Amino acid sequence: MEQILLDFDLRVMAPELVIVSAAALLSIIDLLLKESRSRKVIGWFGLAAVVLAGVFVAMAFGHEPYQILADTYRIDSFSLMFKAILLAGTAGVFLFSLASGKEEWKSREGEYYYLLLTALLGAMVMVSSADLITLFVGLELLSLSSYILVGIRKERGEANEAAWKYVVLGGVSSAFILYGMSFAYGLAGSTNLFEISRRFAEGMGGSGHLFIYLSLFLMMVGFGFKVAFVPFHMWAPDVYQGASTPIAAFLAIVSKTAAFAFIIRVLLVAYSPLMSDASWMEVVSWMLMIVAALSMILGNTIALRQTNAKRLMAYSSIAQAGYLVVPFATIGLVPFDLFPSMLFYLVAYLFMTFGAFVVIEFVTKDRGHGGISAFAGLSRRSPWLAAAMTLFLISLAGLPLTAGFFGKFYLITSTLFNNQEWLAAVMILTTIVSYYYYFGIVRQMYFLPPYSDQKVPVPWLATIAILLGVGGTIGLGLFPEPLLTFIGELDWTSVLSIASSGAPQ
Amino acid sequence: MTLTLTSYLALAAILFVIGLYGVLTKRNAVLVLFSIELMLNAANINLVAFSKYGLFPGVTGQVFTLFTITVAAAEAAVGIAILIALYRNRETAEADRYNSMKG
Repeated sequence: MEQILLDFDLRVMAPELVIVSAAALLSIIDLLLKESRSRKVIGWFGLAAVVLAGVFVAMAFGHEPYQILADTYRIDSFSLMFKAILLAGTAGVFLFSLASGKEEWKSREGEYYYLLLTALLGAMVMVSSADLITLFVGLELLSLSSYILVGIRKERGEANEAAWKYVVLGGVSSAFILYGMSFAYGLAGSTNLFEISRRFAEGMGGSGHLFIYLSLFLMMVGFGFKVAFVPFHMWAPDVYQGASTPIAAFLAIVSKTAAFAFIIRVLLVAYSPLMSDASWMEVVSWMLMIVAALSMILGNTIALRQTNAKRLMAYSSIAQAGYLVVPFATIGLVPFDLFPSMLFYLVAYLFMTFGAFVVIEFVTKDRGHGGISAFAGLSRRSPWLAAAMTLFLISLAGLPLTAGFFGKFYLITSTLFNNQEWLAAVMILTTIVSYYYYFGIVRQMYFLPPYSDQKVPVPWLATIAILLGVGGTIGLGLFPEPLLTFIGELDWTSVLSIASSGAPQ
Repeated sequence: MTLTLTSYLALAAILFVIGLYGVLTKRNAVLVLFSIELMLNAANINLVAFSKYGLFPGVTGQVFTLFTITVAAAEAAVGIAILIALYRNRETAEADRYNSMKG
């Protein structure tokens, strides 16, 4: 039977359809609700939609990969795994936002929740698409929603300023990505990633070669901005500081994960002909390794002199992005040991970063300023909160018994396996440097006198959010095997091949 | 034929560089937004030129351009909205005065 564009089983797009219909419905509900009514119900509804989409994603695992919408959209292990991470991160951000109260956004609470959903939708489109147009539209949907979310506290000068910096640098990075994509299209005559890969393979050698690299470098500059790799990281600290803490967590977890998936998909599929060439090792691999090393070194050293907790987390997340890109930079001829080590670290990063942001929000809100001195004497005021924060920091620092330890352990072994000893050395040395600032906060909590004896007020929802973070961080630290087996058993080679179109049987 | 393509690509490259220069150096915030538009439109010229005179001519590039024009319009709208909110707080449109956060 001949396929037409919309001739596919709607169930295969169920997660996206759930999110898009929830976002549309919630925007209407927001209009119809009385001005005076609390918008919390919209937040709960949004959370329910995210969970439902998560259920659909979980059900979709294990099928053959397939492509729909004229091969622009594919559902394979890669997109499902990344969607699961994105949905988990967004669900956490919803819980966090519901807990941190509405005075932050005043009358714009409804808008806040459905923009989170549209941002999530953009991220999900990005991780699933196999076409430059879909990728770009997904990326922009995520970016535009995030610009507004960063600036949603519009009475605050610093939120405005953060949103301004984000929109300008985000716009420039979009322009770089688009300019790079235009060259890729020009060389291949198609926007489909597999088609591009085929044409690139034919066009290698000669002057076409240079244009392939030009398009790759332009796109990498753009992605560098989106993920906040080092030469392009300057927006991240300002934006994290100016945005409300749930949004900073959203940017650190969801945006970053989606941009990662984007880079991997484009490089592994469209630019795969470079990989069969010696030039991959000489150019692309080195470029990524240098970016990773710079991110680790600068992220961790600049974090040393930060006094604002959220700026510190921003630099820490720049460094973590550097660790994350290492397995990707070192893939050689055996590409698929990349996914287990990288995805494990990504999941670990999700739990520990999320938990740390939740604790930072309530501690700094109680103190009234965002400095790390807000943590002084926390162990005497709220011992459990201090213990949870210590756990997250230990995990971020990569010490044993936590998720972060196994994450770093797998990353370092995979680097050594690929014979990049110097990069492993940079990872270990910068990790040691990072102990200093992570334990700076621990020192504040345990060895300095508190400024008051009152317990830090933490709403029950935030307690749940923190417990989820603690559970994930300790759970993955004590029992990393189930997740690793699960990731290892997924069919990663399917990322590289064109799938059949239509629904799975 | 190739000459035509090259000249379009050169025009796009010049526009892109002017845009990038504008973003990096202009003090007026509105001009910074304009410069971003120049960069996006440089990419559009590239796409249309490739879809007409490229190695593999086809309509896809023009379709892509329609998408990017729409997206760029949305981006400009969001950018200007943020700028207005910022102007109300700071009462200046000089981009280099938006520097309260450092470190």
